[in-house]
Amino acid sequence: MNKRTSTALSTALTATLLLAATGCSGGRQAADAHGKDLATANNGRVVGGTPQKGGTLTILSDQDFTHLDPARNWVVSGMDFGTRLLYRTLVSYQAAPGAAGGELVPDLATDLGTPSEGARTWTFHLKAGVRYEDGTPVTAQDIKYNVERSFSPDLPGGADYAARYLKDAEGYQGPADGKHLDSIRTPDDRTIVFELRRPFAEFPNATVMPTFAPVPKAKDTGPQYDNRPFSSGPYKIETYQRNKKLVLVRNPHWDPRTDAIRKAYPDKLVMVMGLRANQIDDRMVASQGADASTVPWFALRPESAGKVLPRADVRKRLLAESMNCTDMVQMHTGRAPFNEVKVRQAVQYALDKEAVVTASGGPAFNDASTAYMPAALFGGKQPDILRIPTTGDADKARQLLKEAGKPNGFTTTMTVSNGDKGRAEAIQQALAKAGIKVTIETVDPSAFYATIGDTTHRSDMVYTGWCPDYPSGSTFLPFVFDGRYIKDKGNSGNHSLFRDAPTMRRMDEIAAMTDAGKATAAWRRLDGEILAKAPAVPVLVRRWPLVVGTNVAGAYGQTSFGGQLDYASVGLKDPAKSEG
Amino acid sequence: MALTSTVAPAGSGPWQRARQQLGRRASVKISLVVIALFAIMAVAAPLLSTLGGWSPEEFDKTAVDPYLGGQPIGPLGGISADHWLGVEPVTGRDLFARVVHGAQVSLLIAFAATAIVVVAGTAAGIAAGYFGGRTDAVLSRLMDLTMSFPSLIFMIAMMSVARDVNRIVLMTAVIGLFGWPGIARVVRGQTLSLKHREYVDAARVGGSGPWRILTRDVLPGVAGPVIAYTTLIIPGMIATEAALSYLGVGVRPPTPSWGQMIAESVAFYDTDPTYFVIPSTCLFLTVLAFTLLGDALRDVLDPRGSRT
Amino acid sequence: MIYYAGRRLLSVIGVLIAVAAITFVIFYVLPSDPAAAACGKSCSTERLAAIRAHMGLDQPLWRQFTDFVTGIFTGRTMGSGQYTLHCHVPCLGYSYENNQDVWDLMMDRLPVSASLAFGAAVIWLVLGLSAGVVAALRKDTLTDRALMVGSVAAASLPVYFTSMMLIYGVIRIAGLLPYPSYVPFGDDPLHWASNLLLPWLALAILYAAMYARQSRSSMIETMAEPYIRTARAKGLPYRTVVVKHGLRAGMTPILTLFGMDLGGLLAGAVITESLFGLPGIGRLFYGALSSGDQPVILGVTLLAATFIVIANLVVDLLYAVVDPRVRY
Repeated sequence: MNKRTSTALSTALTATLLLAATGCSGGRQAADAHGKDLATANNGRVVGGTPQKGGTLTILSDQDFTHLDPARNWVVSGMDFGTRLLYRTLVSYQAAPGAAGGELVPDLATDLGTPSEGARTWTFHLKAGVRYEDGTPVTAQDIKYNVERSFSPDLPGGADYAARYLKDAEGYQGPADGKHLDSIRTPDDRTIVFELRRPFAEFPNATVMPTFAPVPKAKDTGPQYDNRPFSSGPYKIETYQRNKKLVLVRNPHWDPRTDAIRKAYPDKLVMVMGLRANQIDDRMVASQGADASTVPWFALRPESAGKVLPRADVRKRLLAESMNCTDMVQMHTGRAPFNEVKVRQAVQYALDKEAVVTASGGPAFNDASTAYMPAALFGGKQPDILRIPTTGDADKARQLLKEAGKPNGFTTTMTVSNGDKGRAEAIQQALAKAGIKVTIETVDPSAFYATIGDTTHRSDMVYTGWCPDYPSGSTFLPFVFDGRYIKDKGNSGNHSLFRDAPTMRRMDEIAAMTDAGKATAAWRRLDGEILAKAPAVPVLVRRWPLVVGTNVAGAYGQTSFGGQLDYASVGLKDPAKSEG
Repeated sequence: MALTSTVAPAGSGPWQRARQQLGRRASVKISLVVIALFAIMAVAAPLLSTLGGWSPEEFDKTAVDPYLGGQPIGPLGGISADHWLGVEPVTGRDLFARVVHGAQVSLLIAFAATAIVVVAGTAAGIAAGYFGGRTDAVLSRLMDLTMSFPSLIFMIAMMSVARDVNRIVLMTAVIGLFGWPGIARVVRGQTLSLKHREYVDAARVGGSGPWRILTRDVLPGVAGPVIAYTTLIIPGMIATEAALSYLGVGVRPPTPSWGQMIAESVAFYDTDPTYFVIPSTCLFLTVLAFTLLGDALRDVLDPRGSRT
Repeated sequence: MIYYAGRRLLSVIGVLIAVAAITFVIFYVLPSDPAAAACGKSCSTERLAAIRAHMGLDQPLWRQFTDFVTGIFTGRTMGSGQYTLHCHVPCLGYSYENNQDVWDLMMDRLPVSASLAFGAAVIWLVLGLSAGVVAALRKDTLTDRALMVGSVAAASLPVYFTSMMLIYGVIRIAGLLPYPSYVPFGDDPLHWASNLLLPWLALAILYAAMYARQSRSSMIETMAEPYIRTARAKGLPYRTVVVKHGLRAGMTPILTLFGMDLGGLLAGAVITESLFGLPGIGRLFYGALSSGDQPVILGVTLLAATFIVIANLVVDLLYAVVDPRVRY
């Protein structure tokens, strides 16, 4: 694009923005034309400028944390909250908007770790002067202890990188009865050494997980630690009533000189839980009184989009970073009818992604997906190899079905989690046009993974998503398409039950590559190769829209935490205006 | 009023008088018209939606604005010549088609559950009242037990547990399961008072078997209160269907029911009021009509009020 | 009287055990697996088995039930290894989701549901009874008909509709009240009431009509009784006659109704709580249901059944007090 057209375009855009601000009907048209830009205008930017120190930041939530215990915390938003406010990990993400938020920086450690023996052994040294909320120093033994705790069957739910990579960890059940892992060594209080089963060049990425936060043995209360984690971060828990209220106050022993990541602007954080989601949206849009110093915990409901997008003043406070998770329709490739590649391709063509995007809140809050891996793993933009129209191609789908010997279509079942009901109905409607009659089976979130993980009894299709734990193809494709990870019960990730020898061979080859750039390119190529075999249809990538209060500053969606607000740097413009 | 004491077995006199009394009330006429309208709507749903030009499950992407979270295009929730009652936000499905098909599902569940409740409750009540003794003791304990269950909580739980079953059948059964003791108690009380009436004694002395006495002498005697009570519990059934659907354990998508429609539309109550108001109004009118009709029936058929 | 109360109490316990057993069987043969739900995104078969053992889910069903019942009276020690959890009397199990004793969890939520239920009850009793009495005294006038049809119409409104309209009108448009979020009575009685006012109204509108209708017909009936005429003939003031004689004798059916309604509501008005975002028992239950937290589901069901049964018991005993004609 040359400079002149670009100027013309931006003038036109300004004009429509003005229009949008002036009236309802105008707003609607403007939104039609540039809805996407309207939602993503603040991406990569900080909303509200630099905060002032002090005040109370209120967080409104319709739910509680799954887990706050660092050994069990493996939900993206919860990891953001925990590691930014309550506990520190060996390594963490930089506190910065946009792509810079994906950069690793040392946190408890002095550097990003030193590999030896061909990345089979990793050594970290801890900073001096890092203290818990009672003033005692953080030690390497405490980190080892928490990694060990994460193996305990009493403390389930956490990330399993330690279990997957540490040497001699099979069958280990936690530090009960004085049993310890020999593969983690602590030569002194400030040195920790991990011995791995196989080379793992991306190990520092894994040490961002809260599993690698310190927990002192004396403070471990087992399952109840979840309700009162002991702080090594800038805040400590004052009170925590499950599903009602969590109050954080400053940890006086946290030393900002040891911490380059956390800004810790507010004096106090109050999280009010169990509210009604739509009331939260309304309060954030209105931003009146104490609500001005408030941020929402969960993403804006799609049905609230109409209250936000047409209003320029509200839009200024809207963050909408990508969650970097791909929603997919995964088909049971192990049995009829989806063992036939033409049938799976028919689904690929029949699916109307535009309708699913609308059901998911519209293009402002979702991107239709043309590849399996989200855009972040493609350097910012997904390729479109198949070039299927976003609205689908029912004729081509019917033709593929005819070639597969099913000219009259067929009947099948799709299992979805309750929350995906609307998306599922859009898929159902689109596939019906090509002659594929889908029955939707909705399952409670609690039973969802157990239901679809039972490979013999599950339905033909499932609607699930996968999020890479860090920006590398190695945390996506092998989890979703490696046939060797398939389990009869409790299966996860590879819900297509895709067992393809060339794909698996290629995955091993890429995993062995030492050149990171080559590996990245190879993963991207492999994504396209799998797409041609159609074990799953990539549908969309969601955004994480948040409207923050008018008195909130330093707000941006942290790209490495699924677009959740970066709690390391959020604060208030005018602390005096907040309610103590 | 001494109506109950003059009820003759299966006689036509009191029934005629009841009909006359009911006919004098305006509320009864209006209620009957409303109920008839919705019943016709439910029965003729496929025909009506064909007339409207949309099937209840058909998406209309042109009717919603994807950039505004799927808001209907046009005023009043997208009411137009094409979509008579507007469209559902997000999907653009035709509200008229969904409301009439929703009537079918909601009323079917309500009526079927009521039928189960009435048949089971009447049978249990008559048996308990007439046979007395151990039968009465067992049935009364069972009534107490059933009534001790927190019914809504239990219904939610049972609905969320079951999979791979027809949701409509399941919902009907679950609602019916917790409803029968109420009517059984009414019928039991009524049967007890009828049991020693002269004409019943006369029939017994005349050599009639219990089956004959129950069907010929007792059943007509309890019919009045049962009819009144039945009409009065239908609104509760409709509301229960709505409650279960609101809590996400109702019929499967994309099948519409009023409860399911209200549940989905609550989120749009301020952004698309039309969508919220239409199913709510249908539910309101139906519930009101049945309640008013039931009140009137009770006044006429069961003036002393058999409920405890 | 004492004999009667004792017998009733025994039957209450029997009913509760039956409710527990039935709930237990239904929920513990569910397809949803709390161990799998707890295990998380990536869960190996061995780990799943270990978690199941620690939750006691590998035991036979009857064993789990007897453990549960004895736990209520003796308390239980759960978990294993270094993490032993003591669950005190009355132990209704331990919530995997909330890492808390089910009993403590419910007692934490009970004030919310109780505030909601009692506050709403006061409003509907006042509204319902006064409408009923006025209608009865003006029987067959326009006032009577308007009150009766009006209350029935209000009660026929779907609760979703009334709730959202109250929120919209009072909070969004008029800005008279804050968005409801529970404030304990002890912290600030005024905020407690102002936050709960709308949920109270929403519930009261639903229930008041029943009471209006019931009190109207009771009043009409008792006012026609000979002893009322005698009382009036004796020259007692009209108000005294209405309140002392008329209302009191008509109380029995209302009391029954009230007992059942309040008992049911105490265990959580699931829908009202969810519409207004109040962290009561109903919300706890609904949350437990979607996260497969079986101990909480069982606990709330039992608590709810207990309330219903006790409410009925109290009502039966109160009959004797309210209505002098009743003797046990």
